[in-house]
Amino acid sequence: MKTVRQTDLALVKRTRNRKELYRAFSRSIRVLFIALTIFFILAPILLLIKISVSAPQDILTQHPPFLIKNFTWSHWRKVLAAGHIWVPLWKSIVVATFVALFGIIVAAPGAYVISRLPRKIKYGVLLAIFSTRMFPEVGIALPISVIFVRWGLVDTNLGLILAHLIKVLPLMAWILTGTFDSIPKDLEQSALVDGCDKVQALAKVVLPLSLTGMAAASILCWLESWNEFTYAVYLCLAESTLPIKTYYYVRRGNWFESAAYAVFLTIPVMVVTFLLQKYMRNDYLSGAIKY
Amino acid sequence: MSTLRNLFKHHKLEMVMVLPLLLFILGFTLYPVLQCIFYSFQDPVSGAFPTLENYRVIVGNRKFGDALKNTILVTFIGLTLEMGTGMLVALLLTTKSRFRGFFRAITMIPMGVPTIVSGVIMLYIFSSNGYLNEFLYRLGLIKLPIDWAQGGLRTLLMIAVADMWKVTPLVIILLLSGLESIPADVYEASAIDGASPAQNFFRITLPLIKPFFTIALILRAIDAFRIFELPMVLAGRNTMFLGTYAYSEYFDYNNIHASGAASTILLIVIALFVFGYILTVGSREVDQ
Repeated sequence: MKTVRQTDLALVKRTRNRKELYRAFSRSIRVLFIALTIFFILAPILLLIKISVSAPQDILTQHPPFLIKNFTWSHWRKVLAAGHIWVPLWKSIVVATFVALFGIIVAAPGAYVISRLPRKIKYGVLLAIFSTRMFPEVGIALPISVIFVRWGLVDTNLGLILAHLIKVLPLMAWILTGTFDSIPKDLEQSALVDGCDKVQALAKVVLPLSLTGMAAASILCWLESWNEFTYAVYLCLAESTLPIKTYYYVRRGNWFESAAYAVFLTIPVMVVTFLLQKYMRNDYLSGAIKY
Repeated sequence: MSTLRNLFKHHKLEMVMVLPLLLFILGFTLYPVLQCIFYSFQDPVSGAFPTLENYRVIVGNRKFGDALKNTILVTFIGLTLEMGTGMLVALLLTTKSRFRGFFRAITMIPMGVPTIVSGVIMLYIFSSNGYLNEFLYRLGLIKLPIDWAQGGLRTLLMIAVADMWKVTPLVIILLLSGLESIPADVYEASAIDGASPAQNFFRITLPLIKPFFTIALILRAIDAFRIFELPMVLAGRNTMFLGTYAYSEYFDYNNIHASGAASTILLIVIALFVFGYILTVGSREVDQ
């Protein structure tokens, strides 16, 4: 009796050992994968920062070191002192801000109406509007550029704002429709019953409730315009935005300038993405699953 | 007709509200697209319409043939890499761990990097005195630096990998939302039946996330086909894609008709993808 129980125990122990071994093995594989993924994601960004603070002999060599050997602020100082950055920076800020502003003014009322349409029509309209974002931009930018040359809008802020709105409005309409969907119709109706007219109901009930959504949408669209490259490359000849200026330095093979400009370009995006992450996952990205 | 008039009468405010958005999209998106198609069928010299002359010219152009081939290949390579890696990371992200939230935040970082910046970074990695060559050299795999932008398959691979860094997070998000939509009791049931991890993956996970997989695939195909910024930064004028070819016809040769023809071809391919996407998403919407 006793011996039987002992062999049983040994068997249990051995299988448990094997199971634990398997688990430890699969776990270490997983940890390895995770570490590799994190490395591949972070290394390029660190590289960019490293180049913007490395002395030329670390970079312009056949065998660049992987770590910072000779640290220097000189590229940054040079970029800031040369002052070529301020004009494009200002242009980028102005254009992006007006894109966000006009975007809200045009898209918000439209999105409200779309959100109050019957379900099936609503999705049809939304999909139709949103699929315009998938058109090849070179195809739209070409006639736009030809027309804008005729209208004298090339190299102007207004021209670029209009062009960016092409890209931004569908996204904004999409996000804001989601925002208005989340505001119950009953609220407006009770405002109407209480004697408001339609405009008052919108201004006093719907507008305050949708402010956060509008803020998030306009920030996202600000970023879209800030990053935008294709329309800008078609429409900027003399006065460029920050992305085009970065591209200009890339074309000239100027590593340090392009690195500094690229860091400049990335900072606001990173900050906003990080701050908005929670919000984006809930609202924007649940919409993104559908688009 | 009377119902339409009624609609206008009762919903005057709504009409006024939606009008600017619709007018803008009609005037600044739909009209340019039609204009672009018009250019492509217009004779460059006489202005006669319609003619297939432009298409004949660009199809006979070796650069266009290369651009088309490159675009298709880079889409194929890129999608394979992105969907494979995206699936793997999404699976890693669903397994429970203390660091899951942290890991998830890290994987989303590239989404916050502007495309042009990711191009700049990849330039440092892939240039002939860049860090990939240095890495390979230190491993003893190469003696002389590889010129990744030289053309051919290696350049396409470079573009695909550069693109992959930036866009795989989107694939991960889409697949992750698919994985999270699978109820846990399905796996409990399969565990009772003694299914192996491989069986779990191929028999349960994959079929259940198929719609998400399809959507991710189509969205990525659309973006990969109209790839523009990365080739502009990385490949220069040696390796062209449909987007950069259309740009170059306009800017280098001032030929709006050839550029329009290339764009129209791009448009047709993308319209097919969009159609597939709407069918997939549309059917999902009705299901819900």
